[in-house]
Amino acid sequence: MDLQLNRKLEIRGICKSYRNHAILKNMSFAVENGEFLSILGPSGCGKTTLLRILIGLLPPDAGSILKDGCDITGAKPSNRGMGIVFQNYALFEHMTVLRNVEYALKFQKIPKKEARERAEHMVEAVGLKEHASKMPRNLSGGQQQRVAIARTLALKPDIVLLDEPMSALDVATRLSMRAELKALQSQFGTTMIYVTHDQEEAFALSDRIMILNSGEISQLDTPENIVRHPANAYVQTFVLDNLQAKVDSLARFIGGK
Amino acid sequence: MTMLKTMKMKKRVSANGIIQACMVLFFLFCVILPIVSMLCRITPDGLREMTQSPQFLPAVRNSLTTALTATVISMLLALAAAWCMERTRIRGRAVFGMLFVIPMLIPSISHAFGLVALFGNNGLFTKLLGWDVGIYGFWGIVVGSVMYSFPVAFLMLSGILQYEDGMTDQAARVLGIPRFRRFLGITLPYMKKTLISAFFAVFTMIVTDYGVPLMVGGKQITLSVLMYQRAVALIDYDSGSVIGACLLIPAVIAFLVDLCNPEHGQGGYVSEPVVPEKSRLSTVLSYLWCTLLSLLVLAPIFAFCMMVFQTKYPVDSTFTFEHIEKTFHRGADEYLLNSLLYALLAALFGTLLAFVCSYLTARSKGVLGKCVHLFSITSMAIPGIVLGLSYVIFFHSTPIYGTVLIVALANSVHFFASPYLMMYNTLQKVNPNLEAVGQSLGVGRFRIVRDVILPKVRYTLLEMFVYFFVNSMMTISAVSFLAPPSPKPVALMINQFEAQLLMESAAVVSLLILLINLLLKLAASLLRRNAGKE
Ligand SMILES: Nc1ncnc2c1ncn2[C@@H]1O[C@H](COP(=O)(O)OP(=O)(O)O)[C@@H](O)[C@H]1O
Ligand SMILES: [Mg+2]
Repeated sequence: MDLQLNRKLEIRGICKSYRNHAILKNMSFAVENGEFLSILGPSGCGKTTLLRILIGLLPPDAGSILKDGCDITGAKPSNRGMGIVFQNYALFEHMTVLRNVEYALKFQKIPKKEARERAEHMVEAVGLKEHASKMPRNLSGGQQQRVAIARTLALKPDIVLLDEPMSALDVATRLSMRAELKALQSQFGTTMIYVTHDQEEAFALSDRIMILNSGEISQLDTPENIVRHPANAYVQTFVLDNLQAKVDSLARFIGGK
Repeated sequence: MTMLKTMKMKKRVSANGIIQACMVLFFLFCVILPIVSMLCRITPDGLREMTQSPQFLPAVRNSLTTALTATVISMLLALAAAWCMERTRIRGRAVFGMLFVIPMLIPSISHAFGLVALFGNNGLFTKLLGWDVGIYGFWGIVVGSVMYSFPVAFLMLSGILQYEDGMTDQAARVLGIPRFRRFLGITLPYMKKTLISAFFAVFTMIVTDYGVPLMVGGKQITLSVLMYQRAVALIDYDSGSVIGACLLIPAVIAFLVDLCNPEHGQGGYVSEPVVPEKSRLSTVLSYLWCTLLSLLVLAPIFAFCMMVFQTKYPVDSTFTFEHIEKTFHRGADEYLLNSLLYALLAALFGTLLAFVCSYLTARSKGVLGKCVHLFSITSMAIPGIVLGLSYVIFFHSTPIYGTVLIVALANSVHFFASPYLMMYNTLQKVNPNLEAVGQSLGVGRFRIVRDVILPKVRYTLLEMFVYFFVNSMMTISAVSFLAPPSPKPVALMINQFEAQLLMESAAVVSLLILLINLLLKLAASLLRRNAGKE
């Protein structure tokens, strides 16, 4: 029973197919309150589809989604207390950074003054205070990414979904963004579901990792347990062996020094 | 154990679906059914009578020979011009580019009228130099058609040349392949699809136009002129329908070719544009060619400018405003206002319609959306005179018949495809997740369109508006069937004045249309440029 209470989100038997081609096959898992869960899988395995179903942009063919014990399967995306950050940011290009963050608050019956304050606070929290009146096109990729995150967090969702948010950034920016993302998570206490195809990123960030293989869960566990007990050959070859190869190639140089 | 609970998502009828269904109905009633009702007018008797009439076969032959010759010439001129502009180091490309497309701003009949002013019985060359080139007939039609179709071919070909991949060209250059062979072996094959599309588009445009052959055809009657004579002058809709069906054939072929041939114009990403080779000779030749072409395509416009401001063209060249005053006395000012009203209505309605349609098809999936897209580009395949006749037949007993509204409707449908495609291509490049972001943030689709998407595409919107306006100002095809006697649009006056031998007034009207269209184009491009600086 206690375990049940700690479940922020519970997914039961979600199925989705496009024209008889099954994308998600009877998928069930639970996300715990405040955790950072990564969904790791090669491109085309159905990660984006899963996120769009979770936030309600796409109806599942079968299955249900429970949040804090309530069935939200048919709820409108904006009534789920969730936010989503897309891969290509999808910023409102003709609005300043501050307006981007403030815009959606207008529709939440939040008084103007409070909305402005909250937006300013969010912009500051992602470190864009000096850029608040700039247009998105004048920002770097990492900064645009932060605007998208601030825009999502401003509505105070308790779960944030991120769809490969770093894939358009250079390596150095990615590393610093990782740290910032974790800091924002602990600051706001949000549960985060983070989609990526990068093994290293998943292992560096996550409390738990869900490894997807063509619409099915290969393994869902902590990084330590995945390394110690890979569930099957797929996890071994595509996740662990790849990571090992990276470690080995670096070790050659560091060892030789 | 997980319980498998089958969900029954209630299928809400979305606003999207309703609007899409409305669009399908719109096209059904404003494109498909009118055409079908025109085709239904064709009876076996009417068909036999028309095809066996002594005028029919010569008209088919004249149409085919003149249109084919003009298309080939137009394409060759345009290809040479596009190459000069895109592949040599010529300066003043913006100027030449503008000069080349000015002919698009006047009706085809004005080009022919300009030819008459130059080479007709009272023309400049005939009177002053004693050259009697015999402009009336085959060559008159060909030259006139080349003049107004050249800009269209030029825009299509230079557009595709701009998008050629520079890396391929560089690789070929490094391999030592000479310039001319690179053009034949790499550039032409790359342009093949566009060349085919452009060929059919230009051919269709020429074969369905009646302005030029009516003015300079002389004894050479083409199918379009025959249709005009039968359906507009004699109000014989049965034979009109037969010819209309014939004129649909090339248009349908052009449409099918385009459909099987979808990837022109947009070009996609270019890693690097082609850098023209340095060559004194080719630059000099380019200047010569572009200057010559500008003079050629603008010659009719010069001619009617002279006619407007000279006391007695071509013999007395003292300056005067008399002709302008006289033309206004003959009612040109009123007709001009009518035209502005027609154009404004068509532009407003057409832009709205094209935006809604392209939004639906570019940013949502589904069968209905595909239908709307297909309908939208189908409207391109319908020649103006055919659309006009089919509207007369279909809307004859409805209250909008004989009003300003049906003219605006016909023009919106007639010129629909290009603005629709402009917006469709723009919207496809706008981030596909914007509506989804809005949904997740609790901002409705309508607000996202208004606050985020419209500001982003506003210049495309402006361009669409200008396109509808300019074309509605100068069209004489569908309106010749549909325009009520009052208010009558000004473009129809050109033919009327010419028939009454009021040549100067016909010239004034042509010039007025040109000026208004030019002003609008300039204003739009200034707006755009200012915004670019921001
Ligand atoms: N609207 C759609 N219609 C048909 N197939 C789709 C659609 N959306 C996604 N797919 C297919 O579903 C699969 C999973 O897509 P996606 O969830 O985007 O994968 P990922 O995000 O893991 O790269 C892909 O094979 C894709 O082609
Ligand atoms: Mg994806």
